[in-house]
Order: sequence, then C-alpha cells, then structure tokens
Amino acid sequence: MAVMKFLCDTKRCIECNGCVTACKNENDSALEWGIQRRRVVTLNDGLPGEASISVACMHCTDAPCMAVCPADCFYRTEDGIVLHDKDTCIGCGYCFYACPFGAPQFPKKTAFGSRGKMDKCTFCAGGPEENHSDAERQKYGANRIAEGKLPMCAELCATKALLAGDAGVVSDIYRQRMASRGNPNVIWGYNPKTGEMI
Amino acid sequence: MLNTSLNKSLQMLFALLVLAIGISLVMPNAYAADGQSSKQQAAKTSDADLWRAVKAGEPGYTTDTSLEANVLINKAGNQGKELRNTYLKPAIVLAVFGVFGAFLMFYFVNGPSKLSHGFSGKMVARWSKADLWLHWVLAISCLILMLTGIFIMLGRHFIAPYVGEGLWAGIIATSKFIHDWSGPIFIVSWLMCVIKWMPLQTFKLYDLKWFLVVGGYINFGPFKGKHPDSGFANAGEKMWFWTLVIFGLMISISGLMLVLPNLDLPREASIVALLVHGVSATILIAFTIVHIWMATVLSEGGMDCMVTGYCDENWAIQHHNLWYDEIKANGSLKYKD
Repeated sequence: MAVMKFLCDTKRCIECNGCVTACKNENDSALEWGIQRRRVVTLNDGLPGEASISVACMHCTDAPCMAVCPADCFYRTEDGIVLHDKDTCIGCGYCFYACPFGAPQFPKKTAFGSRGKMDKCTFCAGGPEENHSDAERQKYGANRIAEGKLPMCAELCATKALLAGDAGVVSDIYRQRMASRGNPNVIWGYNPKTGEMI
Repeated sequence: MLNTSLNKSLQMLFALLVLAIGISLVMPNAYAADGQSSKQQAAKTSDADLWRAVKAGEPGYTTDTSLEANVLINKAGNQGKELRNTYLKPAIVLAVFGVFGAFLMFYFVNGPSKLSHGFSGKMVARWSKADLWLHWVLAISCLILMLTGIFIMLGRHFIAPYVGEGLWAGIIATSKFIHDWSGPIFIVSWLMCVIKWMPLQTFKLYDLKWFLVVGGYINFGPFKGKHPDSGFANAGEKMWFWTLVIFGLMISISGLMLVLPNLDLPREASIVALLVHGVSATILIAFTIVHIWMATVLSEGGMDCMVTGYCDENWAIQHHNLWYDEIKANGSLKYKD
C-alpha cells in the first residue's frame, strides 16, 4: 500500500495560510475554538533567503507520539497515516512533549491534567469510528481518504507548494521541479530571456 | 493581567528549578544547539545551513499563537522519549521485581532478625497518634501513586494487550485521574512528615558504625549477633528519610510541572520533568519495597511501632539502645497502660 506523506515546497510557499484555513473549514466539526491543526512558519522573515513552510502532523514512520503514549491510543493505517483514538486518549500531553513538529494540540488547559482529548491532523482520514459516521465527524472531522481524495490543505494550495499523497509520487513531482530549477534563469518553468518553456 | 504575569513568573521559577535538576541531561543538547545557531548566524544564505538551523530549533514567524508554534522542529522531546523508553521502563521493572526478589532471597538465606531476649511484653511509647496518622496517609497516598504510576508507565505493555480497548481506556483514564488527585495528598503529608521528623534524622558518628555491621540484621559470619548503636532512628532509617526528602521534593516539583498545563512550559522543561519524575519514582519504589520488607518481615516486632505507636521494651533496647537509654535517663519513658 501507499505511504502517505506531506511535502511543502519552500520555493513555492507564499505564506498565504490558505492551507490553515482549508483545514479549519474542512475539519470544523471536530475543532474546538483555538485549535488549528496546521500552521505556516516563515524563516528569515523579511530577509534574503526567506522561506515559508506549512507544517502539521508529518505522519512519521517512527512516530514519537505513538511510542510515548501511556494509553497507547495511536495506530497506523494501511496507508501509513498516524491516527489516534480520542476515546482512549487521557490528555496527559506526553505526545506534545515528544513530537518534534508540535502537531498535537489540546483543547483545554485546566489544572490537574484536564487538557481534554488531543487533536491533530488526520491527513483528512478521520478516525477509528465507522467511515463518515456522525461520531467520526464530531471527533476527527473529514474523511476524504475514504472517498479517494487527498487532504484539503494540499488540494486547495494555490501555488501547489503543499503536496500530499503517496511518498513515491510526491517525491517524483518534487524531483522534477528541482531538475527544472537547475537553470538559474528559469522562473516557474519559463525562461524570460529566451522565451523557452521548460 | 495579574494572572498572566503570575503564570509567567511561576513558569520562570519552574524552568529554573528544572534546569537545576536536569542540568546534566540537557547540557549536551544545549551545547549542540548553541553551536548550530552561532554557525547559522554567519551564513543564512545557503539552503543547507538554513535547514540545519531549523533542525537545531531555530524559530521563525507564524500567526499561530499556540505554545512554541514558531519553532518548526524541536528534537528535545523525542530524545527524552528515547531515554524514557530505553532506560526508565526497564529500570522500574528492575526496581519492583529486582529489589523484591533480592530481599526474598536474603530472607530465605538469612531469616528474620529476632529479638535476642524475646518479647518483654512491656510496651514503650515511640510514636504519637499524629505520627501514626501522618505515616499512614503518606504511605497510602504513596502506594496509590506508585501503583497508578506503574500503570501509566507500563500498563500499555502488561495490561492493554490482554484486555479489550474499552476496558483499557477505562483503566488508564482512572489511573491518571487517581494519580493526579493523590498527588496533592502526597505532597502535603510528605511535607508535614519531613518537617515533623527531621530533627530525629540528623546523621551522627555512630551511624557510620551501623553501616559497618550492616545494621546487625545479618545472622551469619562475622556480623552475627552484632547490635550497633543507634538513636531514635538508625542509620538505615535515616538514609530512607533523606532519600524521601530529596526524591520526594523532585517528584513533587516535576509532578506539578506535568499536571499544570497552564504553566505553558517549554517542551524541554516538560520532558525533563517527565524523566526526573520517572527516575525519582524508580528510586522511591525501590526504597519503599526495602522499607516494607524491613518493617513487616525482617525486623521482628518492628511493625507494632506503626500500628499501635508502642514498641516492645526489648526491641527498643536491641535496635535503638541510645534512644532507650536517653528516655530512661530523662524520665520521658512512657509505658502503655
């Protein structure tokens, strides 16, 4: 089966935050106020070499959240997507400590551990509930994977900077782009001096 | 406003405390990060350097206001997770079964430490009612914390595979709830015990000699029949007391850091707190098993002290001779009516 991955092309990302909005909207039913599953971080903001990157759960093959969870509520789908069961989650926050990307979010911050159920990007693949059931929609949001569609963030990315899909396909697309960029005069696959399309 | 600044100062305080506790753990990382970012200062133009800096935790700009959202990659938590899973989990198993097993072996080889003159039947006052209450509140909260703590750390390995998903979810959620709320009971009773009993627990020169004959509990070889000097508490009890003071403090502070998400601690502090919590728990569990073995099985007549508050006169003479002599001399010796 496929191994699903995100890849953000920093040469294309324009920090429009469209992916953040698309995600919020698509998974609205599951997202409590203040939680966003995806964020855009800009490095060297306003300086030469500025680069923006959209980040959410990376669906790690060797996921730290899965290894640290005391409730063992994480699981991996046959597409390599890391999901979790909110009914088993105890809201301890260990996954937030362990995740290098800061993906896990908690809806509450009450004393004595009431952080609520952890929420994170599901690659628009829902959760352990029955596909497209009410419970799934309320707890996890959209399940586009079951409909044969890719995550909404990547689908709505205006510059196609954010790619989502099978790791092999995504990296092929990216490799092609890198090859085209080999010519420093080329802008978006078009050489303005010679008019040559590449 | 006030709330925010209070949170900030609390956060600073806890961050400082954890820095002191876990300095050895984070030092290598801190150095690595420093090296990376200073290198990054020199050249930010190359892509490779940019991503090296990102990997080292260089922050950027983001509109997301959640904790540390501007940091793309923070490896500290994952490194802490590696330590926890590789070393701490086996250490806890060893602390429980290893120490218990070692004492069982010792008991079968050595047998209990008997009173050389038998029970006198005359009971001497040793602990007040308040002491008994404090001890048992501390003991029960401690045992509950240890049991639920072991469930939280190891339950996914030895319970989850054998029960259904729903039952497991109930067990782990209940464990966490009980663990969180027994914590404050432990902290309060621990603090009261420490303050109340500290004057009795200062080290004296004769405590060194106690160690030389292993407390007089060994029934064979050159140590047989030795009864070293000791005051109200013997050297072993003092060692247990001070271990409880040090690691009780560490486990309380790290526990509060973990259970109060409002502190908004950086992930480095949280994961160090988790590790300190586990290390302290391992040590306290090991010592608690020793403590229970000594009181219930190994030292004949020892358990009476914490059940009734009175000890047998012969027990006092054999195990706490200096204390017995002292109370006899100054007239504070009280027999049970």
